[in-house]
Amino acid sequence: MSLNPAAAGETSIDYAALRALVVDDSPGMRSALRLTLANFGITKIQMVANAAEAIFQIRNRPCDFILCDFNLGEGRDGQQLLEELRHSHLISLETVFMMVTAESFYEKVVATAELAPDDYMIKPFSAEVLRNRLEGILLRKRAFAPVYRHFEAQELEEAIAGCDALMRGKPKYAVDAMRFKGELLVAAGRFDEAEALYQQVISMRAIPWARLGLARAMHMQNKDQAAEEELRDVLEHAPEMVSAYDLLSDVCLAQKNPAGAQAALEQGVAISAKTVRRQQKLGEVAHANGDLDTARTAFTQAVEKGRHSIFVTPADYGNLCRVQIEQGDLKAVADTLKKNRSTLQSSPEGQLVMAVTQGMAHTHSGNLQEAARALDEAAGLRAAGIRGDAQLMLDLAGTCMAHGRNDEADAIVGEVARNAHDSDALLTKAKRIYSEAGRTDAGTGVLAAATGDVRKLNNEGVVLAQRGDFHGAVDKLLTACREAPYNPRIMMNAVWVILKYIDQIGMDEAMIGTARSYLAEAERQAPGHARIAGLRLQMKELETRFGIHRKSTA
Amino acid sequence: MSFDGSDFYAALIHELKNSLALLSMSIERIPQQGEARHDAPVDEARLLCQGVIDRLNQALLIYKAANGPIHPMIDAGSPHDLVHELAEQTMALARGRIRVETAVSDAVPALWFFDRDLVGMALINAIHNALTYARSTIRIEADMVDGCLSLAVRDDSSGYPEHILTSVATGVPYRATGTGLGLQFSRLIAQSHDNRGRSGELRLSNDGGAVFRLMLP
Repeated sequence: MSLNPAAAGETSIDYAALRALVVDDSPGMRSALRLTLANFGITKIQMVANAAEAIFQIRNRPCDFILCDFNLGEGRDGQQLLEELRHSHLISLETVFMMVTAESFYEKVVATAELAPDDYMIKPFSAEVLRNRLEGILLRKRAFAPVYRHFEAQELEEAIAGCDALMRGKPKYAVDAMRFKGELLVAAGRFDEAEALYQQVISMRAIPWARLGLARAMHMQNKDQAAEEELRDVLEHAPEMVSAYDLLSDVCLAQKNPAGAQAALEQGVAISAKTVRRQQKLGEVAHANGDLDTARTAFTQAVEKGRHSIFVTPADYGNLCRVQIEQGDLKAVADTLKKNRSTLQSSPEGQLVMAVTQGMAHTHSGNLQEAARALDEAAGLRAAGIRGDAQLMLDLAGTCMAHGRNDEADAIVGEVARNAHDSDALLTKAKRIYSEAGRTDAGTGVLAAATGDVRKLNNEGVVLAQRGDFHGAVDKLLTACREAPYNPRIMMNAVWVILKYIDQIGMDEAMIGTARSYLAEAERQAPGHARIAGLRLQMKELETRFGIHRKSTA
Repeated sequence: MSFDGSDFYAALIHELKNSLALLSMSIERIPQQGEARHDAPVDEARLLCQGVIDRLNQALLIYKAANGPIHPMIDAGSPHDLVHELAEQTMALARGRIRVETAVSDAVPALWFFDRDLVGMALINAIHNALTYARSTIRIEADMVDGCLSLAVRDDSSGYPEHILTSVATGVPYRATGTGLGLQFSRLIAQSHDNRGRSGELRLSNDGGAVFRLMLP
């Protein structure tokens, strides 16, 4: 190792300072890897056997380098571990994650997954190759460190500029810089520029990730037909590229082709069944398509494969039980609830799912007393402010109506409708509940009142904003937000007019605080919505202009 | 109890790769003692182990090729890093017995597009052959030739026998064993790299020894 501090900056790695974590289920492999790493001069090495232990270890003691086997026996695999670590921000972009795989096929799946490791090693590999790869990644991360820091501080403009600098100054990292810049442009809502960038990469070579990026950028601009053509062609050449099926399903849904969306997800699941979010989505799409068998299998897989996964929520158990009820398989519902009782009881949202599901199941089996008890419990949770997803709330409303609890049902439907005033799918489902209960006219009234208020406030606010009366617009939209506290469209409009208002009259700390929390809530309700990135960028620009620093950006 | 054939096969391969990984890591940890009676058999074991790994990788590639064409996973990579990595692997295998040289021409760009794993597999196989036949030196080269990235392994052996040169040049297969087997795979790997209608090539020649050259468009 170089002792010359000037030379140390560019090319040398201080292995003695590197904190390493080896994740492998085989004790023999763990100790062999430890000895190999020790030979490089790495002395701070922790070793664990599975994903749960890895997460525990990383929570207690951050590390710089994770060497993880893809196959970890029962439980989560290496890819799932990586997704959870990144999703929960347990590791930063500067942490090196290398996947070890012996699966001749999964190497491709892993390398082309949406959340790819920094590199992968195919077993058996030699110590020299491992050391070379690790060193290459550490040097690359060193070159990207300023870009990563800007990104993590949400300074997208600065991060993009950093990528441009790398593209000009470090030819070796030019393509890596373009790849990251593409993701930054998408995060910033600059989809047209992202499209051009991916075209530029493709003009060098049509590498699959660039074509996938191109398709995503086109989808975000509603160019779904072109996106679909691109994806179908990519998949013909790289059929194992699982994340392409996920995007293809979105593209199909955007073109009102739910059957195509289901087919795409089924192909993705056939390649990699363990990804919880893919199973969840397949379940939802299949359920909407009326394919109850597929929906049931997918929701079962989501719950089973995702046991202990952070991506499984109480809603998943609710979804599974809903399908089982629709299939008339009440015994399966009872089994599902019994098996997952402790999980569901541990959170108020889980308790609500349990109460609503029991209410529905008991109503179906004619056990009205038990059903009423479950509905009382659901009402109590609702009074305490606990909410489930819109599907669950509509189920609750339908069950209430079946018991003649019409006022309760109308209140619930009104709330769902206010929060989803522009969702045809949910409003249609709400109408069906009323027609099944023989209350079609009452339903029309409830829905019209609920959506009308919100729509009116929203439209008035938007008109005022277009006239330049941002103060009035903010008033209207904040009222709309209070009426419909979970409506992402309304919240995004509110954020938009608040930012316009501040732009016009100057900084208002309380206002920007409100905008910030509405934007966060909007993202919770509609993750990945195309408008969110742009709003976040506008907010950042205002904050910078008026000198507000939320995070230390030294 | 009944077995699903393909699951059973996959599990076996998985175990085999794990055992080989452990075996190669164990051999790598045996220290040199500067004494031929100890070091020579260890070096031989190390090379043989790499040879078994080569054959296993080839077997898996043939299994994949039998189920459809080889889809290389092409991405941007540094030819400089690849040559450096191969040289270090070669030095570890040669243990000072053979000199290892590298030469990367100034014409080689910082990045080229290829499947790092497949190309690495073809080159390391050529290197293992060279280690068996070279008298004193192995040279790993990167250059630009006819608009392609040329990656070459050059040794100072007595060169390839005539029938191998003819077979690879004409594409007519011959009884493929040992050296020849690896060459057939390298040819497949080279050809799977295509760019704008042009396919990669394997070129063999004798020029002061054997020259193994992959041409990647």
